Amino acid sequence: MHDAHSAQDWRAWFAENGARLRLIARQWTRSEADADDVVQEAFVRFWKHQRHLPGNPNALVVTSIRRSALDLLRRSDRRASREKIVGDDMDTVGWFEPEADPRLAALAESLKLLPAEQREVVVLKVWGDLTFDEIGEQLSISPNTAASRWRYAMEALRRNITARTHD
Amino acid sequence: MTDPDHDLEQALRALRPRPPGPAVAARIDAELAVPAARRGVVIAWSAGFAAAAAALAAFVFLAEPVEPAAPAYQLVRADRSRPEVQLFRPVELADGSYARPVRVRWEDTTRWEDARTQTHLIDYRPNDRLTLLPLETH
Repeated sequence: MHDAHSAQDWRAWFAENGARLRLIARQWTRSEADADDVVQEAFVRFWKHQRHLPGNPNALVVTSIRRSALDLLRRSDRRASREKIVGDDMDTVGWFEPEADPRLAALAESLKLLPAEQREVVVLKVWGDLTFDEIGEQLSISPNTAASRWRYAMEALRRNITARTHD
Repeated sequence: MTDPDHDLEQALRALRPRPPGPAVAARIDAELAVPAARRGVVIAWSAGFAAAAAALAAFVFLAEPVEPAAPAYQLVRADRSRPEVQLFRPVELADGSYARPVRVRWEDTTRWEDARTQTHLIDYRPNDRLTLLPLETH
């Protein structure tokens, strides 16, 4: 990944990193459209105001995404309570490109079935490129808790894909 | 012996997240193209602090742009963007006093032209200056 500190062209940086940013946003939002909105808002804030700040740019952009996603959830909750609308296409649209390999396809589906607290650790470690220390800071948990959630998630994923590929 | 968690992590990394749609890039492009004058620079901490930040920005804005030598080309234009001011939370210094970090960013663009070959040379320089403004505490 190119370093956002020195990158001048946002298009090149976004083309390289947009998909993983969107996945990070997607697991904290209720719909594909919400994920796009969060990525847009978070990326613009990161690029204009935060990419030159010291520290790991991955952690900075993840912080920006989490902040936008939480803001959107709060706004959506208020709107839903007023309008009694529930819009959640969590299970209708894939988070990943279709995979021909059945094991990878099972893995993609299994990821969505994880408890949210385990899934966010997996997403932040694999696609956010964060350490357990950095994940702990993002989620306000200890690094040991982040590592435990990771281990539980790995066990669950292994069980799930083994069961699915034997069906 | 292979680590099963490592193998699973590698398999996860092989998954390809869906990229954002082209509409997202278009909306980002529109937002990042907004002129600096419309950017939400909020300077509302205090009258004294706002004046200090403005003085720092004015110093940067009014200073002479650096024009690198380019003997093969004729200078046709030198521009300096409006500075963008970013304020941070106050920090405690080693001597026990407090100061507020202020970052000012601006861009210098200098353009030369060779009339014979109809070619241009453009020097673009982003600048970034971080300054501490002392704060008085009572």
